Amino acid sequence: MSIDYGRLFAALPSPHMVLDHNFNYVAVNPAYEAVVMRSGSELIGRNLFDLFPNEGEGGKRLRASFTRVFETGKQDTLAYIPYDIPRPEAQGGGMEQRFWTAVHTPLADENGAIAYLVQNTVDVTDIARLRQAASLPFASKAGETRLLERAREAEQQHQALLAESDEFRRLFQLAPGFFAVLSGPTHVFVFANDAYGKLVGNRPVIGQPVKEALPEVVEQGFVALLDAVYRTGKPAGGEAVRLMLQRGPEEAPKETYLDFSYDAIRNRDGEITGIFVQGMDRTEAVRTQQRQKLLLDELNHRVKNTLATVQSIASQTLRAIDDPVEAKTRFEARLRALSNAHNLLSEREWASTSLSTILSQELSIYESSRVAAKGPAVTLSPKTSIAIAMVVHELATNAAKHGALAGDDGSLRVDWQKRGDRLMLDWTERGGPPARPPERRGFGSRLIERVVNGELGGEIETRYDAAGFSCTIDVPNPEYEEQVL
Amino acid sequence: MHTSRSNLVSGLRVFIVEDEALVMMNLEAMLEDLGCVLAGSAMRPAQLEASIARGIDADVAILDVNLGGTLVFDYARALVDSGMRIVFATGYGRGGLPEEWRDRPILQKPYTEQEVAEGIAAALALAR
Repeated sequence: MSIDYGRLFAALPSPHMVLDHNFNYVAVNPAYEAVVMRSGSELIGRNLFDLFPNEGEGGKRLRASFTRVFETGKQDTLAYIPYDIPRPEAQGGGMEQRFWTAVHTPLADENGAIAYLVQNTVDVTDIARLRQAASLPFASKAGETRLLERAREAEQQHQALLAESDEFRRLFQLAPGFFAVLSGPTHVFVFANDAYGKLVGNRPVIGQPVKEALPEVVEQGFVALLDAVYRTGKPAGGEAVRLMLQRGPEEAPKETYLDFSYDAIRNRDGEITGIFVQGMDRTEAVRTQQRQKLLLDELNHRVKNTLATVQSIASQTLRAIDDPVEAKTRFEARLRALSNAHNLLSEREWASTSLSTILSQELSIYESSRVAAKGPAVTLSPKTSIAIAMVVHELATNAAKHGALAGDDGSLRVDWQKRGDRLMLDWTERGGPPARPPERRGFGSRLIERVVNGELGGEIETRYDAAGFSCTIDVPNPEYEEQVL
Repeated sequence: MHTSRSNLVSGLRVFIVEDEALVMMNLEAMLEDLGCVLAGSAMRPAQLEASIARGIDADVAILDVNLGGTLVFDYARALVDSGMRIVFATGYGRGGLPEEWRDRPILQKPYTEQEVAEGIAAALALAR
C-alpha cells in the first residue's frame, strides 16, 4: 500500500513547515499552526519575515540558517534561538517571548536543485523558563545540556553556545570588579569570580547559601538586604559601605569598604529567581582618603596655630615697642626664629629635633669663639622645639642688646644635663657689663616665663650679678621629651 | 577701639586654657583690652585637672581644643557639668568638634579681639 505523505505530514506531532526560496510558506502542519497561533490559510503563500518580523538577533540567525541551507544543500540546526512572535488580537495581541530549537532540512526537486526547505521546530520556551538566571550566561551546564538534548543534532552548535558562554564566564571570571550570582530565596552561590573569591578570603562559596558561606555578614544586615531585593525586586547597594569581612582562612573579620549593588535576576515571566552581586573593593582607597583627611586636618590645624603664633608675636611686639623701626626689626627677628625652628622640623618631617640643633641654629649668628653650647642628646617634640627656640631667641637677643654679647669681650655658655627625669639648662653670660634686673618685664621675659612655667611645667631661676646675667631652666622630662604636638 | 560688644563682656571673669605660650599671651592681652578679669589659666592637662579639682571661680572658660595632643572635651564636660559657660578655641574649625559640642561658641585661630568678645557673649547667651 502507498502512504499518503500529505496525511503523514499533517499527522506529525512535532511542528513542521515548508518554505520556498523567498521564505514564503508552502506547507504547514497542524502542530505548527498551533505553536505559532496562526492557521494555514493565514500562512500559506506569505513571507515568514512579514508575518513574524524580527529585527533582532533571532531574526538574523534564522535568516542566515535558511540561506545556508539553500546555498549549501546541507541541513542546518539552530539549537537555541529567541524569537518573539505576535499574539493574535483574539488572544490579547502584543508580542510573546518564545525560545525555539529548529532543524532546517533541504528538499531537492527531480533535478537535484534545492527548491524548498523543511523546518522542524520545537518551542522550548518552557524549558528556557526552567533555567535559573535565564537572562545571564551563568545557567548551570546541566540545565543547558537538558535543553540541548532536545535538539539532538545540535552538538556542534551546542559547543559554539558553550564556547560563547565560556567566553562570558572568562570575562567575568577575570574582571577586576567582583561578581557573584545568587540563586533562590536562600541566596545560594552559583557563580563567583576571582575578585569575589579574593574578597571573601577564597572561602568555598559555590553551592552554599550566603548565610552559611559568609556567616559574619548575617548580623551586619546583608542577608536581610538580599531578602528585600529578592522579595521586592528593587536594587540595593551603596558606596564605600563599611563591613567586617573575613579576608583570609581562619582570620578574624577585617574592616572592609565596598561599592556594591544587588540586582534582581528575573526569568522570562518576570519572576525573581536570583540576585546579581557586583562591586569593587574600595578598602585601600577609603583608607588612603582617611589618611589624607587626617593629614589635611593636621596641616590646617598647624597652619592656623602658627598664624595665631605669628599674630601674637606681631601684636605683642607692636604693643611693647613704640619706635616703628625698632618694632619692625624685633618682629622680623622673632619671625625668623620661629621660621628657623619650622625649617628644622620640616627637614625631619615634623618628627622631632634635638636641643643642640635648636641651640646651635639660634646662636649661629654670633661669633662662634664667644658662644659655647654643650650637653647630652635630648630629643624635643615639634611643639617643644618651637617653644624652646623662641626662649633661646629672647635670651640671645637680650645678651646681644644688654649682656655679654653686646660688647666685644663677653662670652656665653650654655650647658645642659639630664638629671633623673628632669632637664637642667644653665645659661651663663660672662665678661660683659654687670647685669641689672630690668625695670619692667618686657615681652621676652614674660614669654620665657610662660614657656618654662606654663607650657613646659618647669621653673626658671634668673640671676643678675656683677659678672653678668645667668639663669637655670629646670623642666620635667615627660614635658619636654614625650609630648606630642 | 572698644565696641558695644566689648562693653558687654567688660568685668567678666575669664579662665583660659591654651597650650601655646605665645597664643595665651595674646589672648590675655585681648581680654585685658576688653576689660575682662583673668580668673586663671592652664596650659597642660595636669594643670587644668588640678584647677577643676580646686574649683574655678569664673564666668566663662575659653578652651583650646588640643592640649599638646590631649583633647580637651573630657574637661569641657566636667566644666559644663559644674555650671561653667565655655567657648572653644581651635585651629581645626567647627568640623573638628564632636557632634555634642558643635552648638558651642567657637573661636577659629587666629581670632581677633572682637571675635573673643562675641564668643564670650554667645556663651553667656547660650547658658540663659
